Amino acid sequence: MSPWLAWITQFCLLVLFASALLCLYRIVVGPGAADRAVAFDTLSSIIIGMICLFCILWQSSLYFDAVWILTLVGFLGSAAIARYLARGRLFP
Amino acid sequence: MSALNALREGLTAAAMLGGAFFMFVTGLGLLRFPDVYTRMHAAGKAGTIGVALLILAPVFFFAGSEPFVSLRGTLAIVFQFLTTPSATYLLAHACYATRYPLHPGTALDELERWMPVVPDEDFGHE
Repeated sequence: MSPWLAWITQFCLLVLFASALLCLYRIVVGPGAADRAVAFDTLSSIIIGMICLFCILWQSSLYFDAVWILTLVGFLGSAAIARYLARGRLFP
Repeated sequence: MSALNALREGLTAAAMLGGAFFMFVTGLGLLRFPDVYTRMHAAGKAGTIGVALLILAPVFFFAGSEPFVSLRGTLAIVFQFLTTPSATYLLAHACYATRYPLHPGTALDELERWMPVVPDEDFGHE
């Protein structure tokens, strides 16, 4: 890997870290539960992107399976929160 | 350093920079938009394309060196395009059904004709 690509990867990791901080702000002070759910969904997307960038930085595709598994798990969490908000319970 | 290698790394860098830009825009939208529906607008569109670009970056980078990364990356992108908008839709539907407040500057609420104000027995937001 050429050194400029490593620099760009680290810069993108820094940008992702900043946007994760913005999502954490929305999770902490969000006025309702749905705001926190949306911010949590975005935070899981940001963590997926961080895993991809670390795969590039370490030049290993060992953790790349975690990407699509984390996608499905994040969707389950968001769907469960939405169902709980709409009905007041998870299972009828 | 062949030309093909330079092309591979250039595509990787372009995908990474684009994905990081879109994820930062998503974070800014979550921070600055006034109510929950506009925040879902930011997280549902820009978040989806940002994470798709970020997954595309290792697909470009490991092209030809590690097996099945392109297959796994395509699977992850397909799952992301299926799940993130549908999760956002489910959340928006639940929010509108339980009467989350809209921003007072909202100009038009067309959904009110189809989902009139019927509070769900004793359950509201918070």
